[in-house]
Amino acid sequence: MTNETASAYPGVSALVHKHLPKVPFTADKTLTDANITVEPAHFLELMQGLKERRELAFDYLRNVVGIDMQDEGLVCKYQLHSMKHRHSIQVTVHTPPGNPHIPSLTGLYAAADWHEREAAEMLGLVFDGHPNLKNLLLDEDVRIHPLLKAHPLQKMEIAQGIEDRDPGFKF
Amino acid sequence: MTVWPEERLVTADAFNTVDMTINVGPQHPATHGVFRMVLTVDGEMVVDCEPYIGYLHRGLEKLTENHDYRQSMGWWDRTDYLAGMACEMAYCMAVEKLGQFEVPERAEYIRVMMVELSRILSHLMFFGAFGADVGSFGTSFIYAWRERERIYDFFEEVSGDRMFPTYFRPGGVQMDLPENYEDRVRWLLGSIRQGLEDFDGLLTGNEIFVERCRGLSPVSQEQAVDWGLGGACLRSTGLAYDIRKVEPYSVYDRLKFDIPVGKTGDVFDRFIVRMAEAWQSTKIIEQCLDQMPKGLVLNPDLPKTLRIDSGECYIRTEGTKGEYGVYAMAKGGNKPYRMKLRSPSFCNLSALKQMVVGHYVADAIIILGSLDIVLGEVDK
Repeated sequence: MTNETASAYPGVSALVHKHLPKVPFTADKTLTDANITVEPAHFLELMQGLKERRELAFDYLRNVVGIDMQDEGLVCKYQLHSMKHRHSIQVTVHTPPGNPHIPSLTGLYAAADWHEREAAEMLGLVFDGHPNLKNLLLDEDVRIHPLLKAHPLQKMEIAQGIEDRDPGFKF
Repeated sequence: MTVWPEERLVTADAFNTVDMTINVGPQHPATHGVFRMVLTVDGEMVVDCEPYIGYLHRGLEKLTENHDYRQSMGWWDRTDYLAGMACEMAYCMAVEKLGQFEVPERAEYIRVMMVELSRILSHLMFFGAFGADVGSFGTSFIYAWRERERIYDFFEEVSGDRMFPTYFRPGGVQMDLPENYEDRVRWLLGSIRQGLEDFDGLLTGNEIFVERCRGLSPVSQEQAVDWGLGGACLRSTGLAYDIRKVEPYSVYDRLKFDIPVGKTGDVFDRFIVRMAEAWQSTKIIEQCLDQMPKGLVLNPDLPKTLRIDSGECYIRTEGTKGEYGVYAMAKGGNKPYRMKLRSPSFCNLSALKQMVVGHYVADAIIILGSLDIVLGEVDK
């Protein structure tokens, strides 16, 4: 037995639609959670509603996941939980290829700070409005995005060109 | 009568001090690993704190994306290296969820028992290290080590390794418990309880310790939720949020235990919540031993190479430091397309700046210690 909040689907998505009727999104589910997908243009409006509407009250930002979907561009997923209503949801934002801009959530959730910095350095996502988007886990002056699928799995020294082997890509 | 010359009078605004910058770490006993923070201090008062992490970054997620589902097991041990089994559990649950693999009931009980032993192991480490931070150097460490060594012996017996057991497998656990293991675990529980009582006597009742910790850096519920704190740091504010109860997984819904909560969210509450949690864990292990059925411990129907077509899930477990979550996505083949660790220490540590600013330098070390971070987990 694992966490089964997906059984609440479409309950949570329907609840979001009821209280935020003006925000366009599509709803489906993952194996564990209800999932709603939204355009970057409506993302901040949706998140504000999710946090501030009393009936939804998603006040706990659990996790931010950046994913490289290759031809479909970068995707960012946010896992949210409500301490009051004890329900969870996942919000997915697709960015178009070559334009990985998403509004930052640091104004809404203090927890978003490090999560966004990590996603930014690992995948090259740009969180507009983040106060301090410098590298967190990697060296400050390294400009690589290791979790992109195009980035090969190899030693850092080879990737940086310190060792002789051809890295197979350019910075 | 001599008059003090006016130009030598010192007024409050003439007495200016310059802020000083102190670098702590990355190699420093008080940072509990390779963690660095740059403190800006005004006299004894911390006015700014800039944490730097990543010294232990091993590219866990990239490695997992590039290896077979079973090959990656060992790296997940090495995230929260004080409680390897708890990390294995989350990883295995994510793979099982993606592939819809069944786990035999006996294996679930063995898993829960091992995870709770890991929780005690991790909390004991916290009591020892935190006692050392506060000033009882040596004694608390040795107290912790006595019980930890015994638990490690039990891990070694089932898996052959102490810190990084790699005992769990997708679909169960590697092999059944050795002979008489259950009886000896009962004996171990007695020993652990004695150890916890000793700690209680050494620290909880110690006036110096209590004076040092009580009322230090209190965190409100709203702040804790906003900062994304988890585990004992969140529960010490009075919020009874424990994944084992809120979104039960494995066999936790069949076990009876309480969620200890604090009141003010200060450093002492974080300590006392962990102490109570370790007691609860001994209760859980006892129930596991009572309820554990006979039977298989590993699903025999799983193929040699696990191939998963598609799916995504976010598995959350109550790790020893907080919500240990694994986001997993499969898109065919024998490797995951994406695996992301939601590391509880990472989230707790991200609130360090807000917690230490306005406190003394000596207290900043205690506040950092009370977060109970593991750098293997922070840096991935």
